[in-house]
Amino acid sequence: MNLRLYLQTLRWNQVRLIVILVASVGWGTLMPIVYVQFADLFKSLANTGKFAEQLMNFGSGSLFTLPGALTLGLEHPLAIAFVGIFAVGSTTSAIAGEREGGTLEVLLSRPISRRRLYLTVAATILTLVALVMLALLAGQMLGVAIEGVGNEIQIGQLPLVFLNGVMLWAAFAAFGLAASVSFDRHGPAIGLTLAYLLVNYFLEILGSLWRDVAWSQQYSLFHHFNPGKILIGNADPLDFVILAVAIVIPVAYALVVFPRRDLAAPS
Amino acid sequence: MNAETMGTPPAVIATQALTKHYGTVHALNDLTLEIRSGEIFGFLGPNGAGKSTLIRTLLGFLHPTSGSATVLGLDIVADSVEIRRRTGYLPGGIALYDSLSGADALDYLADLQERGSPLREELCERLQMSASVLKRRVRDYSRGMRQKIGVIQALQHDPELAILDEPTEGLDPLMQHAFYNLLEDQRAKGRSLFFSSHVLSEVERICDRVAIIRSGNLMALQDVDELLARRKRTVQLRWRGAAPDLSGVPGLADVKVEGDRLRATLLGDVSGFVRAIASPSLEDLLIEPARLEDAFLEYYAGDDASEEVRG
Repeated sequence: MNLRLYLQTLRWNQVRLIVILVASVGWGTLMPIVYVQFADLFKSLANTGKFAEQLMNFGSGSLFTLPGALTLGLEHPLAIAFVGIFAVGSTTSAIAGEREGGTLEVLLSRPISRRRLYLTVAATILTLVALVMLALLAGQMLGVAIEGVGNEIQIGQLPLVFLNGVMLWAAFAAFGLAASVSFDRHGPAIGLTLAYLLVNYFLEILGSLWRDVAWSQQYSLFHHFNPGKILIGNADPLDFVILAVAIVIPVAYALVVFPRRDLAAPS
Repeated sequence: MNAETMGTPPAVIATQALTKHYGTVHALNDLTLEIRSGEIFGFLGPNGAGKSTLIRTLLGFLHPTSGSATVLGLDIVADSVEIRRRTGYLPGGIALYDSLSGADALDYLADLQERGSPLREELCERLQMSASVLKRRVRDYSRGMRQKIGVIQALQHDPELAILDEPTEGLDPLMQHAFYNLLEDQRAKGRSLFFSSHVLSEVERICDRVAIIRSGNLMALQDVDELLARRKRTVQLRWRGAAPDLSGVPGLADVKVEGDRLRATLLGDVSGFVRAIASPSLEDLLIEPARLEDAFLEYYAGDDASEEVRG
């Protein structure tokens, strides 16, 4: 890893990082409050039979329990946008964007191997993703403390939730970086990575809303991020294994392909 | 006995049958050349001839299809990182980080180079990049100022070898002059400079040797002086009264007489010609210097690409 490059890349992200961290803490704080304020209402609505219960679920989350509410908060499109800005936006622009802008040329004319560049960028993105995940969880714990509902979850499992979340987003970031090293322009890299993210998201949400295709959730990386289960002490090691595989494959691909690519003069 | 002990400077760049193909496009074909330590080497060719392909292959951006090359004695495939540590590179049409100030961009690139920036101050002074200009963001720079930052970042760490792709693009004539002086001073310090250009006049002015490339093939590799000495010069003279007898002047050809004027081409030594025309009736004499452009155009005769080359 190149420390100077790492710090400079962090610096380039510092403004949006601060904004996202503040927003993440705010959003995280909201979910336990919403749960306390509306869980009974949702339960009574579900008991009327007028609404199918699955319509009150969202992915692996729901508003019926605190663990479910916390999961919902972390799988909500807003949370995905917060983390996705770095896991998708920053990864795809890291190599393909620099290549398109011509600055990759200046960077690679320094004594930095392509593998070192890749690993430095990956470390930077991992740092950013971890910070956002930390902010989301910190916000949630703040909300839990405000509402005094800490007894409904096993707070000692939080590091595992954090690891699970970071691994989920590391998998998307690894895919984004693999796309980034494969293209000369930012557009195709971000397009492909967004498509990968959306397909995963679609499979997870579709399965939760429509019981007949619940099997589709198994094929979504989001389904293997389940803070609700972890926070009640039911962590599934297979979830971590699947996410690890989803990280390793694109990382290995990028480490093989990037150093072998011909980088012709930018047109 | 190695080259250095025999009196020939060691090669800073040596390619052996270096070839680069992109599918059916042959960007470089069996290119074999040597650039010696302490020389300014010009690499000439129009756009698309293969100049940038060679540079990018030497620096590890491209992988050779076949053949081999060394830079500073290091293999371009196995030792690419070390090569880049010891060289300076100015890409053609350099892109910089727009959000940084000029000074921050130079600091950043110097840090990544890991060799300090001993020449920064001198380069900034000679290229008229004052402290106040360096404080401005790169996005506010003109093309010429960006190019100057490009030159400074390539040379600030005092590299043993600088590889410069079209270095005077965007520089005004005053700065071009300063740049040429800079290169000459670097050469005097024993540094080696390899630069590609399609501006023939600058190559002619500052380069010790030149290679001409056409469609990926090396067409010529010579001392600039030798190349010019082998060119025909154009001579014109005007006289009063009887025309001088120029029959038998060695190297004189294509003689055309119009009234009191004569125009011809002269190959080789001028002394025989000067002796033959020495006469009180001679009114005017013009011997045009041989130009690299003529040599270049000869190699590109019949090729549209020659139109892209500027004299």
